[in-house]
Amino acid sequence: MLELINISFRTSESGAGAESPAGRTIIHDLSFTFESGGFYAITGPNGSGKTTLAKLIMGINELTSGKIIFNGSDISNLSIHERSNAGIAYGFQHPARFKGTTFRDLLSIAAGSDDEGKLVEIVSRVGVCSLDFLDKPVDSKLSGGEIKKIELATVIAKNPKVAIYDEPDTGIDLWTIGPMVELLKREQKENQTTTIVVSHNKAFLEAADTLLLIRDGRIGYSGDLAGAVPILEDLSVCTFNELCQGEDDAQCYR
Amino acid sequence: MLNAIDKQVLKEVADLEGIPKGAYNIRKNGKLLGREVSANINIETNEKGDGIIIDIKPGTVNESVHIPVILSQAGLHDTVYNTFIVGEGADVTIIAGCGIHCGGKESEGHSGIHEFQIKAGARVKYVEKHIAIGEGTGRRILNPTTKVFMAENAQAEMELTQLGGVDEAKRFNEAKIGAGSVLLITERVMTEGRQTAESRNEIELAGTDSKTNIVSRSVIKGNSAQDFYVNLTAFARCYGHIECDAIIMDKGINQTVPALRALHSDAELTHEASIGKIANDQLMKLMSLGLDYDAAVNRIIQGFLG
Repeated sequence: MLELINISFRTSESGAGAESPAGRTIIHDLSFTFESGGFYAITGPNGSGKTTLAKLIMGINELTSGKIIFNGSDISNLSIHERSNAGIAYGFQHPARFKGTTFRDLLSIAAGSDDEGKLVEIVSRVGVCSLDFLDKPVDSKLSGGEIKKIELATVIAKNPKVAIYDEPDTGIDLWTIGPMVELLKREQKENQTTTIVVSHNKAFLEAADTLLLIRDGRIGYSGDLAGAVPILEDLSVCTFNELCQGEDDAQCYR
Repeated sequence: MLNAIDKQVLKEVADLEGIPKGAYNIRKNGKLLGREVSANINIETNEKGDGIIIDIKPGTVNESVHIPVILSQAGLHDTVYNTFIVGEGADVTIIAGCGIHCGGKESEGHSGIHEFQIKAGARVKYVEKHIAIGEGTGRRILNPTTKVFMAENAQAEMELTQLGGVDEAKRFNEAKIGAGSVLLITERVMTEGRQTAESRNEIELAGTDSKTNIVSRSVIKGNSAQDFYVNLTAFARCYGHIECDAIIMDKGINQTVPALRALHSDAELTHEASIGKIANDQLMKLMSLGLDYDAAVNRIIQGFLG
């Protein structure tokens, strides 16, 4: 349904740091097929390329090479909004804050309607944020948790075929994560939304049918959680895996 | 009484479809076009004959007064001094604004000075819109001045808007805020082409527990230039905040200079200022919701100036 065929992403020379003047390869020749209606979790150490992979699917980052096929069409050269209108939606890890734009504005754009009844129905369906949120400006006054709930609602309002969520639990309180997982599961079941969640959170990893473990821009493992547990445990020996490598005197403790 | 151009200008500056209800004074090309007073709001020409005095009786509530200015005569530079006296405990809305229709080569301009004497406990909402339209090539110039003097426990909310068409604008806002009074100013300016706009503000927090919040939103398109200066001076225990944001599009330039002066040890003054292009994360978000680049830019600007 959504096929990634030998995709690579290399930062441009101008965008790279001084240490790597020729650019850095973040995603290496990666191939994977997301099946329609599946629930996928993408996990892996910090800096492994999870967010970059998610952004390549949405078109926020442009492929250096390879192809993305969505429902039989090559979308590799489509812009962000064209992919959005083709049915892919994206929840940002750090959602944009605006001046003068309200939750209602974003929700209306996503839903393609400013009908009060329809917006209220979406907010109720999402459940994680109250109706008073509708006229709140999506600005720097919102807490980290509030803006993430708004972000989630705008993705769901789009009724996407593929919903990508980049670390949806950032800033969300412990008591809301359970209902959030249930919501994404419900959207997956009722609307056959192909759901892709980038997360380190056990709750999302357990909810997923398939887990993709990304290491150094490659798929280190794909399959069920049981199969991934030994690898994850191994990784969790050092939370800052990539930082420790090459440091002789660095020791990591569980 | 109103021709098609007048109606168009009134619609733009005061959102009026025709002659307003309640008290009004419509000035056209330096002359009185129409005036109506109400039981509580009196309007009369001042002694010097260079403007009007709008006298709002104490305790007047839920009334509004419209005082739009229409300018459609080539070569005319109109100057006016209007005084608003808002009586104790009144709660009113004042809709002002100036619309220039330029049909020829000669420049047209309006310099309006609005002085507000806001008495104790009064509340005023002042909405002022400036626009310029017409196919003429003459320069359209608007130089507004507002002077606000607030007694105790009064509240004034001022919305000052100039969204396009004005070639040259020099604004000056001056305010002295009394004890327990609150002044909220929101200025929205959009310039394009080779237009220039300057706004200077001298705001004094004079009385104990006076408050002010000054917001400036600028959008600078084409090769236009905008400058925003504000001096906020505190003479008492008070609270003041300045928030100025400028979005530069194309080749526009901007200076934003917020200045805070605390001349009292219990003053609390803050400011935030930003100048830059439209934030990339905002564009990405709206595009990911299905808007193309241009539509996303428009929505962001619309919200910003809204």
